[in-house]
Amino acid sequence: MSGQSTVFHLAGRTIAEMDQELLAFLKAKVNTFIKWDLVRFFHENPHTSDTAENIARYAGREATAIAAELADLAESGILVSHPLGNLPIYSLTGDARTLDLIARFVAACDDRQFRVAAIHYIIRSNKR
Amino acid sequence: MNRVRTGIQGYDDMLGGGYLPQTANLVEGAPGTGKTTLGMQFIYNGVAQFDEPGLILTFEEFPQQYYSDAASFGWNFRALEQSGKLRVVLTSPEVSLSDLRQVGGRIETMAREVGARRVLVDSLSHFERLAPDPLALRESVYTFINALKREGLTLVLTRESTALLGDAGTGEGEEDIAFVVDSYTLMRYVEIESAVRKAMLVLKVRGSEHARDIRQFEVTGRGLEVQARFEGREGIMSGSPRRMAEAFDQAFVHK
Repeated sequence: MSGQSTVFHLAGRTIAEMDQELLAFLKAKVNTFIKWDLVRFFHENPHTSDTAENIARYAGREATAIAAELADLAESGILVSHPLGNLPIYSLTGDARTLDLIARFVAACDDRQFRVAAIHYIIRSNKR
Repeated sequence: MNRVRTGIQGYDDMLGGGYLPQTANLVEGAPGTGKTTLGMQFIYNGVAQFDEPGLILTFEEFPQQYYSDAASFGWNFRALEQSGKLRVVLTSPEVSLSDLRQVGGRIETMAREVGARRVLVDSLSHFERLAPDPLALRESVYTFINALKREGLTLVLTRESTALLGDAGTGEGEEDIAFVVDSYTLMRYVEIESAVRKAMLVLKVRGSEHARDIRQFEVTGRGLEVQARFEGREGIMSGSPRRMAEAFDQAFVHK
């Protein structure tokens, strides 16, 4: 094997064979499992609008675990945030191109090969 | 008088033709009686039969659950969302209340985008954790309801009662909320001859005549179907009705 892009050879597919736009999306924006969960959650419940604490409750997580992840997703343009007093309220972006990428990403995750490759990518990148 | 029809046969008759426009209509019942189904049917029929788009504000169930529950009645909520006739919004009482107070808030914008005329709020019970004291609760709910009415919406608000059978008993705050709404429908389980049935009663419709009798209803594969009134029994809303003759006997003969 040579180079980073051919390191993962999972279920017959190298990471180089993954949709490059989705791979870039994964690397830049959905680079943790919590973000992955949150992206899927907002895709499935697209008109959610709430605080980190309430979203944590919906997602079955600790608010402290997801507050920073939600802020990152807002920073990267997947979510938008607006203030409620001192608290940010998060909702899904209305940007059509980003929504399309999210829909493709979630659909791709139904494919086992893509999913396994993406999981390995996140595990490896978080170990570094 | 102009009416906002629910499209639920029998229920519209009970209401005197339907809800009055831009009113708040409370539907209260025990878990599983069909409050949310009634609300979803109100929203679905609004789009499908009366060309009136709608919003669902949910404080508990995920939108996915509504898509799935609606599909079991043959109502395709996903398709309605895609065609811009419906929005299912997962949020919390505190966020929605604050949002509605703002000019150009998210809910206001969404209502205008879809041209919403109807809204289901499921459920009002979640407001109770916002304000522990009855006066503050009433104030919050009053502001929330008025903000939605301001947008030209006709509201169905669900509220859970705790008792499965009969009178749940209402707290001070709950009674206060009943004063804030324009119509009040009760749904109850009723035990008759070892079988559990469902009963509904329209307690009030502000500014309109309405049926005073208690009707039996079922949730079928087509949604809620209101049937005939309970005949020859009394004490229906207590959960354990008696035949009129037994009641007469108990009231007069044995005393």
